[in-house]
Amino acid sequence: MSNYVYSSSPHIKSPRTTRRIMIDVCIALLPACIAGCILMGTASPATPELGWLSFMHIAICCLTCVASEWIFSLCCKKSFKQILNEFDFTSLVTGLLIGMNLYPSSKWYVGIFASIFAIVVVKMLFGGTGKNLVNPAIAGRIFAFIAFGAAFGGVMGYMGPSGSAWSIESPVSHGSVTAGATPLQVLLGGASDATSTLTNLDLFLGTGVPGTIGETCKLALIVGGIYLVVRGVLNFRWPLVYIATTGVVAVLIAWIDNVNALSNVNSVMIGEAFNDAVGVFLPSILSGGLILGAIFMATDYVTTPNTKLGNYIYFVFLGVLTAVLRRAIHGEAVSFAILLGNLIVPLLDLYVRRKPFGYVKPEKKPRQKKVKTAEPVTDQKTMKEGE
Amino acid sequence: MKTFRGGFHVPDSKALTAEAAIEQMPAVTDYYVSLSQHIGKPAQPVVNAGDEVVEGQLIAQASSFVSANIHSPVCGEVVELVKRKNAQGALVDCIHIKSNGKQDKFTLPPLVDPTPEQIIQRIADAGIVGMGGAGFPTAVKLQPQDPVDSLIINAAECEPYLNCDNRLMIERTEGFLAGVRLIAKAIGVANVYIGIEANKMEAYNKLLLQEGVIADTKEVLAAKKEDDIVVVLLKKKYPQGAEKTIIKACVGREVPVGGLPAAVGCIVDNVGTAYAVYDAVVNGTPLYKRLMTVSGRGVAAPKNLEVAVGTPLSSVVELCGGLKDDAVKLVSGGPMMGFSLMNLDVTTTKTDSGFLALTDKEASTVLPTPCINCGRCASVCPMKLMPMYIDFYTTVGDTENAVKYGALNCFECGTCAYVCPAKRPIVQSVRLTKMKAKEKK
Repeated sequence: MSNYVYSSSPHIKSPRTTRRIMIDVCIALLPACIAGCILMGTASPATPELGWLSFMHIAICCLTCVASEWIFSLCCKKSFKQILNEFDFTSLVTGLLIGMNLYPSSKWYVGIFASIFAIVVVKMLFGGTGKNLVNPAIAGRIFAFIAFGAAFGGVMGYMGPSGSAWSIESPVSHGSVTAGATPLQVLLGGASDATSTLTNLDLFLGTGVPGTIGETCKLALIVGGIYLVVRGVLNFRWPLVYIATTGVVAVLIAWIDNVNALSNVNSVMIGEAFNDAVGVFLPSILSGGLILGAIFMATDYVTTPNTKLGNYIYFVFLGVLTAVLRRAIHGEAVSFAILLGNLIVPLLDLYVRRKPFGYVKPEKKPRQKKVKTAEPVTDQKTMKEGE
Repeated sequence: MKTFRGGFHVPDSKALTAEAAIEQMPAVTDYYVSLSQHIGKPAQPVVNAGDEVVEGQLIAQASSFVSANIHSPVCGEVVELVKRKNAQGALVDCIHIKSNGKQDKFTLPPLVDPTPEQIIQRIADAGIVGMGGAGFPTAVKLQPQDPVDSLIINAAECEPYLNCDNRLMIERTEGFLAGVRLIAKAIGVANVYIGIEANKMEAYNKLLLQEGVIADTKEVLAAKKEDDIVVVLLKKKYPQGAEKTIIKACVGREVPVGGLPAAVGCIVDNVGTAYAVYDAVVNGTPLYKRLMTVSGRGVAAPKNLEVAVGTPLSSVVELCGGLKDDAVKLVSGGPMMGFSLMNLDVTTTKTDSGFLALTDKEASTVLPTPCINCGRCASVCPMKLMPMYIDFYTTVGDTENAVKYGALNCFECGTCAYVCPAKRPIVQSVRLTKMKAKEKK
């Protein structure tokens, strides 16, 4: 009669586990993966193989991520059984995200290096699941972007204030327009006539839009996001805050640009400049990797603050940073914004604290100045419970 | 519907015993009556081995201000004073009484129209303690240091599985309300609230049918008479029945950190306590029986029982058809704040609101995985703490920082550990930190 489980309360627990959450994220990413492969394959009748290449990229990244996690764990002298027991699908999520962040025209080895860097350096060396400082997928993407340049995809060659056009091909592309500048770069580069070939609906559905595999079809991404919200994995508030902030700041920046471009300034023209700038709102939120980043990457549990206020600061910061960086480098900036944002999270966690229930402001003691962080009061009186 | 911020709706599993009428536990032969069934000092025995006692007779006396009398649950002979493990696993002194089958009963003289002092004296004499689980002597609670203006009766019973308060309100409505009025009279307050969770609609409707009981709506409250009792319907959410959260929900006041409810002019008492007061004042019966829910899918026939204090748990479980083979966990009390038992070798006390035998499907035995910082624990914490940090700092042995993040303000409701996807043992961490902090002092 003593073989009963003996433990501290509570004795019942919710059925939700880390593994289930991560499987949900994988499921939510699938529509965008599938849509990305189909869109890439059908973008141009001349290059149907891009669809298969896209699929291959995603598969390679997933395999590499999971394999490098397992090999790292084996090197840490964990038994294979233990590794399987502890496998929580976070590395699969990272693999999917890295794959979705590659271009179909990227070299096949780019994904492998990005995945190994993401898992081994960014995640495992910092202590594994839950201990990473920055989002592994973001770090992997940026690593590939900086380390491989042209092999990563067509974007690198076109960064700069001079603007670009659809027809310019990537040095390593498969001879397709798909590898050219993203519409975002065109938009930011000021070649407004080039964007006119794409409507907002095109941007939303991803039809004919160049870009990375996973970021083009916003509809599929939003479907995945809604799935996560319904499953209680994602708080819908945070992606909205991020996306809306980016749009609003982009409009403000465009307005300032427009006003600066005026030869003589009067109030009517400032108003007109604003009206022109408002047109930037939808394209700027529908372009580039913003929606992918906002729903799936910026909201990564590990690298977001723990308090509500901290989260507001974090996501507004991301939004502002994205819009400003996009204007500054005339290129995709979401991943850099998220990387920088991740780095301020420990700071936000340290300084933004919540007020405990029944918090009483401590009486100010004279002549004893201490660092003002709203520390929770720690009264030692015993508290009665339950009754 | 009124409530508090935070919390989580834990599936309540009350259907197992919600319809089960209260049954009397038949007498057994051996009773082990614990001398510490309350917060405070253990009671001082006033009987010796070999003495003959009758049901309801005083066998141990309150030994200090915060302590409570203990009465014999049965007619019989005192065998000896033994040390036994209680549900929490601590060794406590128990009086072993062997039943002799007689039916005599000792009662105190019933009080007719008592004064507040008489009521409080009677509560002390009858050994009444808070029956929600903490077991604070009620007579002490009813003499607060601060002025109070409201009495809140805690009928939330937010712990899953438990139904004893619910059944008591349905089956013994009048006695319960009489008890509430007696407590209100003892502390001299006119505002009396009964906070009841929305999953007990039968009890809620039954209460509203009684004279002098009104609902918590604006129109009705406008016509409130002096001694009307207000029944407040509360949202179905755990931990709605914790002292601080029910005060927040019913009257909107926040008990300051480290303070008692009296600091905001409230006194909170449990349904069972109110009924015990009625029983003691009107019938003169001391507290030696209580209602208990025996439930869980590991019990053959879940029941609501009226059990005498000191009854061996094994006899109680036997009456309920015994344990099923797939029971993996035994719990004294509710599943969220109750104590895990190693075996059935314990006896009931005044504070046992339930006994559960949980199957593998109900009781989670998943091992903890690393925290993924999802923040669910913080979003459900009724005390608005940050449990993830408390757990983290406790795990790395940094008591100071764990205390800084409010480990000592935690009342261990367990909501954080319930929702945690990584199954972190957060409550265990809190307890460890509390212990270490106590050692340091």
